Amino acid sequence: MQVRVLIAEDEPNILESLRFILDREGWQIDMASDGEQAMALLAQARPHVVILDIMLPKINGFEVLKKIKGDAKLARIPVMILTAKGQDKDRKLAGELGADLFVTKPYSNADLVNQIKGLLDMANG
Amino acid sequence: MTVSRNLIGFRIRELRKAKRLTQVELARHIGISASYLNLIEANKRTIAGHLLHRLAEVLELDPQILTGQADRQLVDELIAVGADPLLRDLRLTPSAIQELVGRTPAFGRALLTLFRAYRENVRTVSALSDRLNRDPLLGDLVHQLLSHVTAMRSMSEILDSVDDLGPDRRRGFLAAMNQESSRLSDVATSLASFFQQTSPAAPTLSPADEVDDFITASNNHFPELETASTELAEEITRHGETMLSAMIEYLGRKHGITLSRESPLTAELSRYRNQCYFDEETKRLRFLDNTSIPTLRFQVARLVIEKALSPLVESLIESAPMSTDGARRQAIRALASYGAGAMLFPYEQFINDAREARYDIEILRQKHGASFEQLCHRLTTLRRPNDEAIPFAFMRCNPAGFTSKRLPIPGFPLPSQGHACPLWAVYGCFQTPGRVLRQYVEFPDHGRYLFVARTVTKRPPTFHAPQFLYAVMIACDVIYADQTVYGDGLNLSSTGIADPVGVGCHLCPRRECRQREQAAISPEDPVER
Repeated sequence: MQVRVLIAEDEPNILESLRFILDREGWQIDMASDGEQAMALLAQARPHVVILDIMLPKINGFEVLKKIKGDAKLARIPVMILTAKGQDKDRKLAGELGADLFVTKPYSNADLVNQIKGLLDMANG
Repeated sequence: MTVSRNLIGFRIRELRKAKRLTQVELARHIGISASYLNLIEANKRTIAGHLLHRLAEVLELDPQILTGQADRQLVDELIAVGADPLLRDLRLTPSAIQELVGRTPAFGRALLTLFRAYRENVRTVSALSDRLNRDPLLGDLVHQLLSHVTAMRSMSEILDSVDDLGPDRRRGFLAAMNQESSRLSDVATSLASFFQQTSPAAPTLSPADEVDDFITASNNHFPELETASTELAEEITRHGETMLSAMIEYLGRKHGITLSRESPLTAELSRYRNQCYFDEETKRLRFLDNTSIPTLRFQVARLVIEKALSPLVESLIESAPMSTDGARRQAIRALASYGAGAMLFPYEQFINDAREARYDIEILRQKHGASFEQLCHRLTTLRRPNDEAIPFAFMRCNPAGFTSKRLPIPGFPLPSQGHACPLWAVYGCFQTPGRVLRQYVEFPDHGRYLFVARTVTKRPPTFHAPQFLYAVMIACDVIYADQTVYGDGLNLSSTGIADPVGVGCHLCPRRECRQREQAAISPEDPVER
């Protein structure tokens, strides 16, 4: 079954570059530019992993994370927080809300892909 | 005039040496024995009025310089400096500080100036650090910076590592990188501007410190302002049945200023300080509906002083220039308030009333229609030479202990920074709001004082508005206590029971005090004054 990745990111060029590199892995990419759109896409099709920015318009990433981990149908989906907000308090809150990985921007494309693969392995294992 | 022996001995010795006089020579000039002079210089004997004047004459000095009043204030402040954690390990004893100030007061003042500059710098650094951590603009700029860098890094990696990138895609990524680099340079420019904002050179004193120093240096008494305010009051009251109506008539006639009252439901409450604000544009003094009459009268009086006696107020401030506009504005407000008090409670009548009532502030409130705070403040200004009232110190603080106003008197250890001793009545009176609390206290150096404190509230304009509560306290040396109603019934003798208090925990040697909040100062160095 093709891996499905949901990316929620409001910066268009970051979203496009993420889409490009993940598409090259042969994954199906769903893209959301705000939190509401992310929730709508989650309802339509269950992804294998979620890449979630914190500073999203409409509903922010923490709220989306809380909804995912609070929904029995979605809670097992691994969530990677990908954010420029790297303060300890953000990391702590993300952990408390159930994030599986916290990655700060800027990042290396290769490292990011490897980290996503790690999450997928963990979910399958 | 008997002078405390604490500093004067050192001063006399230094001045004698500066005049190249031996003890024998100086003693002969002033008509005492050399051995007695030696005891005076060693601070083992006091020096009284005639002898003091004779000594000042021989040393060619103003006797006031030998009284050391200003220096005693300096000693108190330097003792507080010595207790600062930065300097505590140096164990600057009060006796050493007294000797320093006695011998070389200029060095003492230099030390105090440097410490205030250091303290101000610490405050500034702390505020800047706070700002860097919490400034929303800075936070947003950093976030934008990281976002643009992220996009550029990711796209540049793609361009560098993906060999089979089609020309259209390549062009697309290059265009996006160009766009991101442009945005990045904008953000970097904004960040650079943020950090390069010039600010005026940090003053060494806060505006409040400067105004406090100015008022203290004047002994909280401004004779010219007293005279001018009284004369102004006499002129104004010819035009109205009451003082308030006369002042309103004066403002209208002379300055085109009118008064209006505003409902708190429609007023912009944030503009109302002390329940009023003066709209320069419309020349209207606006009050909230819930403003009390004493507040109304006082604020109107203050505006009258600001308008009528502006040149005098400016000239008084010019005599002790302020270093910042903020300090200058505060000083103008302080003098305008002083003038308002002088106008509403003219000196001669008020001091007579105060003595007749034995300083019972409740009686004075009824007679003068004034607030507790207004009267306490006025009592501290009754310092006319040869017609002086009891010298009172004044302190005002909020429930958190923050001191918003302080008017010291020589010898009374009113802390210039931080909280005072938590046992003081000014904090205790919050437990009995609205009731006058008197307290007979003794300090570690055996100084005894009478404290009179009460909470003061400003009525909130609406149910939802916060109530402003603070405490006002006056203090006098116990030798004056029997002249006041507040001393009645108290055993004020040296054997009487007084509450053992300190200046503040950081300065207090009372190790056994159960209210202690900070480590004690060196136990082998009890505070002497």
